[in-house]
Amino acid sequence: MSATTPVGPAANTPPPAALVRSGRRHARVSAGTRASGASRPPGRGRLTRPERIWGRIFIAPPVLGFALFALAPLLFSCYAAFTHWNGLSSPVFSGLTNFRTMAGDPQFWQSLWNTLFLMIGIPIGLAISLALAIALNRRMPGRAAFRVIYYLPGVSSVAAISILWQWALNGDFGLVNELLRMVGIDGPNWLAEKTWVKPALILMGVWKGLGFSTLLYLAALQSVPRNLLEAAMLDGAGAWRRFRHVTLPMLSPVTFFLVVTGIIGGAQMFAEINIMTPTGGPEFGSATIVWYIWQQGFQNLKLGYATAMSLVLGALIFLVTAFQFYLNSRNVFTVE
Amino acid sequence: MAATSAVPTAPLQTSGVAPDAARRRRKKSERRFQSPADVIVFVVLCLGAFTMLLPLVWMLSTSLKTQENVFALPPQWIPKPAEWSNYLRVWEAGPLLHGIVNSAIVSLTVITVGTVTSCFAAYAFSKMRIPGKNALFLALLGGIMIPFPALMIPTFMLFSKIGWVDTLLPLIVPGLFGNLMMVFFLRQYLMSVPDSLIEAAVIDGANHPQIFWRIVLPLIRPAIAAQVILWFMGTWNDYLGPIIYLNSENVHTLQLVIANFNATYAVETDYPLIMAASIIALVPVLAVFLVFQRQIIESIALTGNKG
Amino acid sequence: MRRRRFLTGALGAAAAATTAGAASGCGNLHSSDPDVLTFMFRGSTEERDVFARAVDVFIRRTGIQVNLISTSVDQYATKLQTAILGNSTPDLFYLEPTRTMAYVTNGVLADLSQYVDETDLPVDDIWQAGLDLYRFDGESIGTGPLYAMPKDVGPFSFGYNKTLFEEMDVEPPDPDEPLSWDEFLDRCKALTGDRDGDGTTDSWGNSVNITAELHSYVWSNGADWVDEDARTVTVDTPEFAEALQYVVDLREKHKVTPSINESEGLDGYQRWLRGQIGFFPVAPWDLTLYRTLDFDFDLCPYPTGRTGTSATNVGSLGIGVSANSRRPDRAAELAMFLSCDPEAQEIIVGQGQTIPNTRTRAKEWVKDTSIEPQNKQEYVDIVEDYGHFVPTSRTYTPEWLDTFFTNIQPVLEGRQDVGEYLKATQPVMQGFLDQGYDQLRIDQEANS
Repeated sequence: MSATTPVGPAANTPPPAALVRSGRRHARVSAGTRASGASRPPGRGRLTRPERIWGRIFIAPPVLGFALFALAPLLFSCYAAFTHWNGLSSPVFSGLTNFRTMAGDPQFWQSLWNTLFLMIGIPIGLAISLALAIALNRRMPGRAAFRVIYYLPGVSSVAAISILWQWALNGDFGLVNELLRMVGIDGPNWLAEKTWVKPALILMGVWKGLGFSTLLYLAALQSVPRNLLEAAMLDGAGAWRRFRHVTLPMLSPVTFFLVVTGIIGGAQMFAEINIMTPTGGPEFGSATIVWYIWQQGFQNLKLGYATAMSLVLGALIFLVTAFQFYLNSRNVFTVE
Repeated sequence: MAATSAVPTAPLQTSGVAPDAARRRRKKSERRFQSPADVIVFVVLCLGAFTMLLPLVWMLSTSLKTQENVFALPPQWIPKPAEWSNYLRVWEAGPLLHGIVNSAIVSLTVITVGTVTSCFAAYAFSKMRIPGKNALFLALLGGIMIPFPALMIPTFMLFSKIGWVDTLLPLIVPGLFGNLMMVFFLRQYLMSVPDSLIEAAVIDGANHPQIFWRIVLPLIRPAIAAQVILWFMGTWNDYLGPIIYLNSENVHTLQLVIANFNATYAVETDYPLIMAASIIALVPVLAVFLVFQRQIIESIALTGNKG
Repeated sequence: MRRRRFLTGALGAAAAATTAGAASGCGNLHSSDPDVLTFMFRGSTEERDVFARAVDVFIRRTGIQVNLISTSVDQYATKLQTAILGNSTPDLFYLEPTRTMAYVTNGVLADLSQYVDETDLPVDDIWQAGLDLYRFDGESIGTGPLYAMPKDVGPFSFGYNKTLFEEMDVEPPDPDEPLSWDEFLDRCKALTGDRDGDGTTDSWGNSVNITAELHSYVWSNGADWVDEDARTVTVDTPEFAEALQYVVDLREKHKVTPSINESEGLDGYQRWLRGQIGFFPVAPWDLTLYRTLDFDFDLCPYPTGRTGTSATNVGSLGIGVSANSRRPDRAAELAMFLSCDPEAQEIIVGQGQTIPNTRTRAKEWVKDTSIEPQNKQEYVDIVEDYGHFVPTSRTYTPEWLDTFFTNIQPVLEGRQDVGEYLKATQPVMQGFLDQGYDQLRIDQEANS
């Protein structure tokens, strides 16, 4: 996984179940809706009235919560993004000014670029965790212990981990440079140099997220039907071909899930940045887009501008996710 | 995938209990290496595990150093003298206890209440006949896609208008309405429960809250556990929410408290103190994790499987 | 109070919190009693202690209750902003001068003029420049109603490590006659060396903290950040370029400042604390720490560029009163108490965090030879004579200056040409400055 918390604010992660359209017996989303709708004939008078009432009561809280804490703020955002608003006086309509400022704001682009760059950690993390999962899928002593150890950083709090790494990346007395010194490399002052601050954050993100993706891959590997592999073996497929053509396709839903959550989480990276490089890093080299939004909104009181940027971020995340779903649905067909 | 590719009615059973038993039976064969390749893999995994643990060990080591020893070159791995008093100083140096209590208040309230509301909603969305529920459900799905930062500023202003800034309420109240992610996940899970089970109960005259408590809840318990654990870790470790809403030290959550330690004492290069505070912040979650590690790891696998 | 809150909290948690209201704590910003003042401030741990003690004197004397909310220095700005945005502005709060214009325009700050007229406290004895910094007439800083009491004025003086000068056998600077840039460079060269003979440099002439010190070099060379009425950014002048080049050369050309590699981990400040730097700023807030160091130090004027006169910046923090305070009279009283009451000043100055805030007290303090450093007169000279306030205290938003420093690293490392950088940065800074004035106009209209 990328430089993100695997278990961020839960509401931010997309539904894993929706992600899968693979050739399993029940394609989840559509099957689900069909199952309850189709298998039961519509209302039968006396029995359905209390059902409707109770049903409405049961679904009321999330619907209400959604309206209050997602829909209403979103609508307000859509208005505020087009205003000059400092939070102290009421918003003043300003047309497209905020978006025009954004287009010409080097720090906005820089922070967008930084956010994107930090996502390099996603494929790196996925590759390593897939290798780890394959290794852990063998029968050997200590498997349970390994799983616990690899996942340990994942459960630790972001704040504590960020503080730890800030210290571990210290140029003179940090752990990382100490290790490099052992192999004769004079390490940089990671968090203070423009070239190194992003790799340092990626390193930390991979370290933190590795366990989570490994666990998911391992679970998926363990569920690859043995008879499928055996059949392939009988057909004369070598280990690599079996992996490439049987195992890997079976893992694609997990990969998809991890990539989607990784991107959504990565796009919202904030805590690490704010703790490790409180001013946005050397030459603004580690400021992520959410950090910049937060800074503009709550430090410079440019709430209108910050809202406009957050809308753009939301739209970007939405588009990227939708595009992934589109790719995924095509992909699955080619696999099948 | 293990669970879902089995017989449609089976997942409720296999996901929670059966793998454990199976594992226990298998265990003996796992104590021995099968081939030389396994030994190599084992060694590599050991190295990897060592790398994963190293930063945490380093943190522990720093937390036991004196302030001068922190800057000793080459760094000491086993601090001499071990400065255990750092762990006493730390309670005086900042509102650590407040932080723990506040974090506990937020996560416990949100999760107890939020889980109940989410379960009911998931049940209703999957098993009850409500006009327009599918459209509503799709709308909620869209809601999951909206990232928090996009809503951060208007939500903040909303809470500020009702005077909730600098209280724990903005962190608690939205969670009480349930977690969309959880609703979605449990709904998927409930889809594999046969409708006939519930219809039979309806015909027997049970009302829906009863059906939920007696039939549905026991069935989805493992799935709930998985979501509760993930949610707990998310809430406990949340940082962006608290940093926006909380000003006074007496309402700071644990994450803010240690971030403040970092901001305050880094200037005074009191790294041992900072590390000690961070270790203390890690301990509760690590303890929960180590005690329930098997369940947690399985529930995470379950999350992936469902996906 | 604290304990009770904790208990309610613990009980709430134990009861697994059936109702949200019961379990949620309220921060100190919400005091239900209008007679309790809330005071939000910042500082190192010692500074917070010192101010808490001064406030205690106020509480004992007046019987007014005060709730303190303190944060670390880095977090203060956002904490205060969110409190203001969150409709829970504390009754009193530290005010960074750069925010005065915005806060007054948007009705955050109360006008203190009336309370100043009525009080018995020696407000007139406070440094005039300190008071003027918080006057704003709607257009410019320096005149008009008073919106905050200066908590302190912080003359950012230069200083030197006496012990190192003796060790390296270098003539110490004269306390009254500033060095010229050339003379300064010569002394720095003489101070840079390898004292223990292990082949690596372990003492340096100076170490420049660019954000804090560049002002001095710029001003004393006859350049400035902005023109007279703070409308045009003037960093593209030859004098400005010369000043920046001089600072860059100190490290890149003359190597009398720790190099980039040498400042990894141990930055200039840490090296100064370890006695490895000859010249270094000695700001009042650092005095407590510096007095505990292994070497002797004293103050001297900053070296001078073309103008031949020293220059440096004077920092300040104000104590503002919320326009929404339910007891503005009491809040103003506390603000004035902290900034000029003799007993409060005794506590605050006694700890060495700041120079005295009143002129009378400062006179005695300068003469007291038992207080290090000896040349404390330098601080008074800066405040009364050659100090300037940072340019952002005269503009609506500080971003235009921030942007100058955000991208300066390549210049300091010699990777980018000074002139080129200044030429490229001027329009960007100007853009931000103009934006600030646009914002001022919009905010004025929105609030009128």
